[in-house]
Amino acid sequence: MQASRARLFKEYKEVQREKTADPDIQLVCDDSNIFKWTALIKGPSETPYEGGVFQLAFSVPEQYPLQPPQVRFLTKIFHPNVHFKTGEICLDILKNAWSPAWTLQSVCRAIIALMAHPEPDSPLNCDSGNLLRSGDVRGYQSMARMYTRLAAMPKKG
Amino acid sequence: MDDYASSDDDYNYSDDQDSVGDVFANDDLDFPLVSSKGSTTQVITKESLLAAQREDLRRVMDMLSVREQHARTLLIYHRWDVDRLFGVYVEKGKAFLFAEAGVSVDECRDSSSLAYDSVMCEICMDDVPIEEATRMDCGHCFCNSCWTEHFFVKINEGQSKRIRCMAHKCNSICDEAVVRTLLSRKYPDMAEKYERFLLESYIEDNKRVKWCPSTPHCGNAIRVEEDDLCEVECSCGEQFCFNCLEEAHSPCSCLMWELWVKKCRDESETVNWITVHTKPCPKCHKPVEKNGGCNLVSCICGQAFCWLCGGATGREHTWSSIAGHSCGRYKEQEKTAERAKRDLYRYMHYHNRYKAHTDSFKLESKLKEAIQGKISISEEKNSTTVTDYSWVNNGLSRLFRSRRVLSYSYAFAFYMFGDELFKEEMSEDQREIKQNLFEDQQQQLEGNVERLSKVLEEPFETFKDKKVMEIRMQILNLSTLIDNLCKTMYECIENDLLGSLNHGIHSIAPYKSRGIEKASELQVSWSNKANNTGVTAEVERPEESGCSSRKRARKEGLGGGFFDLNLPAEFLDRN
Repeated sequence: MQASRARLFKEYKEVQREKTADPDIQLVCDDSNIFKWTALIKGPSETPYEGGVFQLAFSVPEQYPLQPPQVRFLTKIFHPNVHFKTGEICLDILKNAWSPAWTLQSVCRAIIALMAHPEPDSPLNCDSGNLLRSGDVRGYQSMARMYTRLAAMPKKG
Repeated sequence: MDDYASSDDDYNYSDDQDSVGDVFANDDLDFPLVSSKGSTTQVITKESLLAAQREDLRRVMDMLSVREQHARTLLIYHRWDVDRLFGVYVEKGKAFLFAEAGVSVDECRDSSSLAYDSVMCEICMDDVPIEEATRMDCGHCFCNSCWTEHFFVKINEGQSKRIRCMAHKCNSICDEAVVRTLLSRKYPDMAEKYERFLLESYIEDNKRVKWCPSTPHCGNAIRVEEDDLCEVECSCGEQFCFNCLEEAHSPCSCLMWELWVKKCRDESETVNWITVHTKPCPKCHKPVEKNGGCNLVSCICGQAFCWLCGGATGREHTWSSIAGHSCGRYKEQEKTAERAKRDLYRYMHYHNRYKAHTDSFKLESKLKEAIQGKISISEEKNSTTVTDYSWVNNGLSRLFRSRRVLSYSYAFAFYMFGDELFKEEMSEDQREIKQNLFEDQQQQLEGNVERLSKVLEEPFETFKDKKVMEIRMQILNLSTLIDNLCKTMYECIENDLLGSLNHGIHSIAPYKSRGIEKASELQVSWSNKANNTGVTAEVERPEESGCSSRKRARKEGLGGGFFDLNLPAEFLDRN
């Protein structure tokens, strides 16, 4: 309990100090609860998510960093490894491959990497997974781009 | 000669020895042995668990020249299958073997970070003095309190047998000595748990070792040497099939036994009987059995109905028809009813015989008592010609043993010659020939078992010496005959019946003349010797003699059943 608080506080200071170091990630701690964080990440370039800004919600367990944080997308996203309704993410480092050496910042980086390299063989979003598995990359990309436009881009005008 | 005594010849009993040794004191069956190579199954008690692992650990340590904890990590990864482990070693090499199991032996303790007074722990992101951080064999260094919490969480998650390093993608398993030391400082309970999980891994991850299925659990495990298809008796008296952990059931195969137990338990046949023999009354829905007469049946509630279709009718009728009622389903229904009836009678036939023999051996203890009474009367007569009465007990054991075989043989026959399992395997003719062959043997066995039973009931204590000797001869002859018949029947089942099947899923435990094998105790010695390392546990290895003479467990040396794994094996084995 104490350890997780101390560690999160350190991470918070680190984030404040290096705010400009990684322009793709903006990690914010809840004002009243250090165990709740949100992040805004930019869709990686040369992917259907380019230009979109996606919001993530972090829920950090008391055993952190020995147990992984729970992360989900608040912004709707069409991606094989993200649940279309709940935003739940299927990523090994958030489950059994978690290592206490990861930080919230590095988790964000891993999620950006996942957006660029989907794993259609362990899909949470079957429609999306099936498109990729059947080789319909164009179909997948246009769907993903459409949802990026609809949900992850600031409305013009 | 008792077989057990020959395998573990000289025990050195200490004063405070455990009562577990009484197993050997049982008066044993005195039958000709099938094999003289001795007991191949062993009881592993809480006390001998550590020693049981020692041999496997040693083999790995000697072969690969590694420390004990690495040997254990390798063995846990390979589920205590030493041969498989060596197979991987020979085929793929040491580096692969170690990497796969998460063993790092390249120790880099003198790396550069030692030059500083403090290190930055990447987990809590604190700078900690070098004494408060620990570097694992894989080279990753974190602070002790993070390590401790990591171990705590992992053990709680049930991963105590393979706790990995905290670094990302580091497959290396944490050094058990470090886990033990760090945990016991803050969570002594957890350290104890960890210790137990490591020890019990030998039972739980090992296909040669299984917990005794007794309830309440006796705390023992059984280890078999080669074949897991055998029947064993634990030192607590529980007899079971090592393969399926159910009661010993040969000559039934495990699957047959499972089906049979289920069939007997859920009373499916009673339900079956009701469906075959009764029809529900259309008014009160009670099952009604037709006890004769025409097809107009009347229920005790007063309602009349047609037996053929079950529909309510009036009472006006002749032998062939009911007034105002006609139904034409006669043929079709009769056919299914016939079939169900035939199956039922078949099951009843086998079940009755199975039950009769099972019930007879429930009376074992009574008969045994009566016989003991007769023996003591006879012994008081101080006869000069008959002094030894062990033949009575032997005959009795033979009787009980063969009754068991007989009763299970009926369950076996039910499945072997029924449609349920092997309908596709044999033609009708083949089946008939085989059934006759088997039933001839079964009948012979049954006849002789009954004869033996009758002879044993004779009031021999009232007879003259000459008559007693006659009875003795009869019992001896019948025992040998029955033993041979059992053996032949098992062979017939193994070779001619099950052996000829295409699907080899049915196999049975081989017949043992002397009954279900009693697992022998694993012999270990734990003694308190004055030593500056404190409590020590020593396993005696009498290598010079080559035979397994080991001391019995001494209670006080165990420290309340808690082992000290801290001692390196080299130390333990030095003696």
